[in-house]
Parts: sequence; structure tokens; C-alpha cells
Amino acid sequence: MRVSDAELMAYVLGELAPPEADRVARAVAADETLRRTAAEFRELLDGLRAGAPEPPAVHWGAYGTALRARLAKRRGRSRWGDWRRWPVPLALSASLAGVLLLLAVQGAHGPAERQEAAAVDEIMLGQRLDLLRDFQVVERLDLLEDLDILQSLGPAPGTREG
Amino acid sequence: MEQSDEALCERVAGRDEEAFDLLVARYQQRAYRLAWSILRDAEEARDLSQEAFIRLYHTAGSFQGRARFSTWFYRILVNLCLDARRRRRWWRAVGPVERDDGSSESVIEQLPAPEVDPTEAMDRQAVLARVWRAVDGLSPQQRAALLLQVQEEMATADIAAVLKCSEATVRVHLHRALMSLRKTMGKG
Repeated sequence: MRVSDAELMAYVLGELAPPEADRVARAVAADETLRRTAAEFRELLDGLRAGAPEPPAVHWGAYGTALRARLAKRRGRSRWGDWRRWPVPLALSASLAGVLLLLAVQGAHGPAERQEAAAVDEIMLGQRLDLLRDFQVVERLDLLEDLDILQSLGPAPGTREG
Repeated sequence: MEQSDEALCERVAGRDEEAFDLLVARYQQRAYRLAWSILRDAEEARDLSQEAFIRLYHTAGSFQGRARFSTWFYRILVNLCLDARRRRRWWRAVGPVERDDGSSESVIEQLPAPEVDPTEAMDRQAVLARVWRAVDGLSPQQRAALLLQVQEEMATADIAAVLKCSEATVRVHLHRALMSLRKTMGKG
């Protein structure tokens, strides 16, 4: 009866269920080579368990201190690592924040200031109603800031008074 | 009442430093001894056992309690040690091996003697010492399986979980390891 290496090892370690253990036990008893192998395996395992070499001594206080230092350093590095792992979303967030800031600053020149500017325009227009006769000038109200220049101009060619 | 390893691990997942310190205290000696047994280098064993605890801290949330904590932790540790051995194995393929006592042995000297001195064969302590030296020459998987069996007294099912292989594969590793070691006893 053939016994595989895995079955023999399970038998030596006592890990076989009863029906299987009985079958392997009979096969081992009937085969001199298997019997000798199983016996030597048990002897080796017993000897290894009893005579395991001990490692060089360690100062456990220093071990614990070194471990905590490494852990603290790793935690600090992992925060940086998290930051570095997200460059694209971070750049997008920064861009969006910049755009929002820009809009906020532009909006700071708010409704009150715009109303004020419009009132000034109206006053200036009211003071220079005579300019309305020259429609081409009226079309270019942004030139009101250059009134002194406009006043020096003569009427536009092709226009009639009255 | 002392908390279980699994309960402490759950607290570590919540960044409980006291729970982490308790787990370290419970496992530091075993972790260091197992690492040293695989690596045979005290400094590297300290380094990698500490690294295993750091990984435990950062990944405690992934321990879902399906296996025992020791199985889960030893898997982290053994993988670190086996990776380290694979990285340095080709460096030491032909060079001398430095031991912790400062002496060195060439690869040739590490090979078991082809014939056994009869007087030495009768000295059990000397035989076992030679057997343990021969453990150094096993493949990483065979060595890890054997150490977890004889030093940590783990069941085959737990060893399989640590090494991420089947129980049958663990038994084959053990069988081959013991067949190799039999030769150092002048048997087989």
C-alpha cells in the first residue's frame, strides 16, 4: 500500500483523522523503510524542539525605544507621502481656489461702487448736454474722461445744428 | 482580565498606542527569535522584527479576525524574512557567511561531511548541533515550515496560513526538510 510523503508527515505529526490514520499505520507497519523513516522523523523533530539554539541577547528596552522612534518617523513620512500621492487633485484644487479668489476680489468692486460710477457719468452727461447734439460723441461715452480734448474739437463733418 | 491578541489588534486599528505596546511586549521575543532562526543574523532579525511590528500598526485595520492574530502577524514577519533571504541569497552564493560570533565559514565548509565520525555520532548534543547547522542550508520555504513547526509549535493548518500554501504543501516541505536533515545524522 503506497503512502505519500504528505500522508507520512501527517501521520508522524498526528494530524490524520482516525480512518486515514489507521490505513497509514497499517502501511507503515508493513513496510520497513516507511517504519524507519517515520521513527527517524519523530526523533529529529523531538531533538529539534529540545535543542533549538537561542539567538544573541537583546536589550528589550533599547529595542522598544528604537521601534517607537521608527514608528514615529514612519508616521511623519506617511503624512508627506499622502500629500505627494495626490499631486493632480491638489493642483486642481489650488487652481479652483485661485479662480474663486479672483472672482471674489473682482466682486469686491461691488454694486455700490458700480452705482457710484454710473452716477458720476450721469452728472457729467447732464453738465455737457450740448454734446448730445453730436451723436457720434454720445456713442463714445467712454471718452468723457477726455472732455477737454472733446471741447477743442469742432463739430463733426456733415452734422447740422438745430 | 487580560485582553486577547485579537481584541488588542482591533484597538491598534483605532490607533490605541497602549494596545500596540502590549502586543509588542507579548510578541517581541518570539518575533525576534523566529526572524533570527530564518536569517541567522541578529541585526537583521532586530530590523525585520521591528518592521513587522510597524506593518502591524499600519495594517491592523485589515486584520478581520478570520485567522488567529499570531497567524496573521507571523505571515507578515515570515514574508519579510523570506524576502530578505531571497535578496541576499545570490550575494552569499559563493562568499563566506559571517556568523554572529564573528567567525566565517565558506560554502564548502557549510556542507555536511560525507562521512560521519562514529564517536561524534554517539554524542547526541553534537549531532543536534550539526542538524541545526544543516537547517541553515534548507530552502527558505522548508526552513520556515520547519521552524514554525518545532519552535512555534504551530499546527500545519496555521503554518499553511502563514506561508499562504496548502496543508499538503506544508507537509511536503517538512518531509523534504527532514529527509535532508537525516543525512547529517548519517542516516537515510
